[in-house]
Amino acid sequence: MILCDHLTKVYGGVPAVDNLCLEIPTGEVFGLLGPNGAGKSTTILMLVGLIQPTSGACSIDGTEVATHPIEVKRKIGYMPEDVGFYADRTAEENLDYAARFYGLSEDERRRRASDLLTLVGLDGVRTTVGGYSKGMRQRLGLARALINDPAVVILDEPTANLDPRGVLDYRRIVRDLAGRGTTVLVSSHILSEVSRVCTSVGILARGKLIASGDRDTLLRSAMQDGVIISVETRTPMPRFASPDILSAEFSQDACSARIVAGKDISDHIAETLYAKGIIPRRLAVEKPDMEETLLSYYVEETV
Amino acid sequence: MTANGLAIIAGKEFSDHLRSRRFHLLFGILIVIAAVGMITGAVQYSKDLADYNSLQVIAQDDPTLAGTLAGLNPSILSAYSQMGGLMAIIGVVLGIAMGFDLVTREKESKSLKSLLAYPVFRDEVINGKALGGVGAIALAMGVVLVVSLAVMTLFGIVPDLDELVRILVFGVASFLLVFTFFALALLMSTVSKDSGNALLYSLIVMIVLTSFIPIFAYSPVYSAVFGDPPDPPGRSTYSYLQGSSAYMVTSVAVGYTSGDPIDPEELKEYEHASREYMAQKQTITDIVTLISPTGNYQAILGAVSQPAGDNAPGYGDLLGALAYNVIALLAMPAAFFGLAWARFMREDIR
Repeated sequence: MILCDHLTKVYGGVPAVDNLCLEIPTGEVFGLLGPNGAGKSTTILMLVGLIQPTSGACSIDGTEVATHPIEVKRKIGYMPEDVGFYADRTAEENLDYAARFYGLSEDERRRRASDLLTLVGLDGVRTTVGGYSKGMRQRLGLARALINDPAVVILDEPTANLDPRGVLDYRRIVRDLAGRGTTVLVSSHILSEVSRVCTSVGILARGKLIASGDRDTLLRSAMQDGVIISVETRTPMPRFASPDILSAEFSQDACSARIVAGKDISDHIAETLYAKGIIPRRLAVEKPDMEETLLSYYVEETV
Repeated sequence: MTANGLAIIAGKEFSDHLRSRRFHLLFGILIVIAAVGMITGAVQYSKDLADYNSLQVIAQDDPTLAGTLAGLNPSILSAYSQMGGLMAIIGVVLGIAMGFDLVTREKESKSLKSLLAYPVFRDEVINGKALGGVGAIALAMGVVLVVSLAVMTLFGIVPDLDELVRILVFGVASFLLVFTFFALALLMSTVSKDSGNALLYSLIVMIVLTSFIPIFAYSPVYSAVFGDPPDPPGRSTYSYLQGSSAYMVTSVAVGYTSGDPIDPEELKEYEHASREYMAQKQTITDIVTLISPTGNYQAILGAVSQPAGDNAPGYGDLLGALAYNVIALLAMPAAFFGLAWARFMREDIR
């Protein structure tokens, strides 16, 4: 479990993370979303013990990071956004070096490195990491984050440089981890990726958590501000009378309309058209996707 | 099983140094210089020893010369003088080359964040880096000493225990010199954002320590800064400027002694002023030497390679005379490393 309790980090008087309270249950795949400068990476750096919070605390599986950083580091696997390796060494050597810090025996190190390289599709690559593409480095970064079989995996922009095949592999690996009860925290600005692999989402803006919950909850919440209903008919349609309609735009021939309502009134529209004997060509409720949801939260926060 | 982060990092750093082309190149140069320097020194030592022995034969026939010649027995360590001079250049470069990118390379390759995310304390990272470097420097110096002894043996020169101890002191002093500049470069690597700047800053400080500060001990510079020595009574010195360029001033000093009788009080005053001047100059020279690692190294090297014989100082006297130099040669790398350690512990990771 990951817990942030009024976590705050201030740089030069400006809060990068502001009073963040967050609880990610064990086995959850949590997506941390937000625009650049929202405080995602700062939050992660505090969670992995690389920087100290100005105030507040965070803990991993009940162990406070600031007071027991080594214990926490043993429990987590971390892939930074700008993943880096020793360029003059092979993938196996880089993984072996990382594995040494967790006290694994030589046989165990070799076995885990081999298994993980197969898992991320880098088995058989014998060149040094200096010759790797960005995508290959990203794959190796994921392998390194899993070298200690961690209870909590923290991935900062994990698909930033991956090709479609790499993205599929990444999704498979994260789902496997979740299936084994591993808690995964994914920070990303690629919203489609977060929505595909994460069971719940938190949205950060200006260091504050402005919304959190599972994907459907967030969508419903976003829809509270209005639902867009598109209507197209073969013959001109009448004006709809419903107290939930916030605005309505009709085409010149009145054969198409875009209606913004406080809630989904598509049934009412269909009944009205049927009663008037008008044949509909299209009746669609436009639910906001994750991107629109996120943008709506950002806009609210800015306002 | 608990991993020892310090040992893991030190082991990797040591291995990295030994695999580094930069290290191979400078170490190769160091070995060649050691061998050539020792060959030259050994040839010169053999010649000096032959001259000394022939003079001893002459002294046996003329007892009045015995005392004069007894102190000129050449030391095997004289063979190390030339090597020591070269070491003060190449060793310094080796130390800087080994240390200037130890931290910046981690920053540039983005591996520092991952390294610090492993279950390892920050001080283990910087200590491990220093320890790996110290190990590689010790190995390099050890090999240089072995090569130098091998060359001497090839020339039929076998050092006795006293000379072996002095050779060891030379080796330790050489190690400390290289370590001083390694620690300096490590410090610059922690304060700089990239390796280029770290190298530049290291070279600037190196030039200040080895070339700029020592110029204050040179007589012309000393006189320019602190004044000329007092003139003896009844004697005047006139300097004629002959020519100058950006790097050199040529002048001729002409001393003029009047035939007038010298006032004893005036002479006493002159002697007092002269002693004060020389004492002050010695103090400045000592301070300058202590601040300059190469100055301390040369002082130690000069002392241990003094001619052997009945008048040669023992270890106690030698250590007493060089105490400040030894302390300075130990304190400077400790200070540089302490600063590097403090800076790294406060390194902002983002």
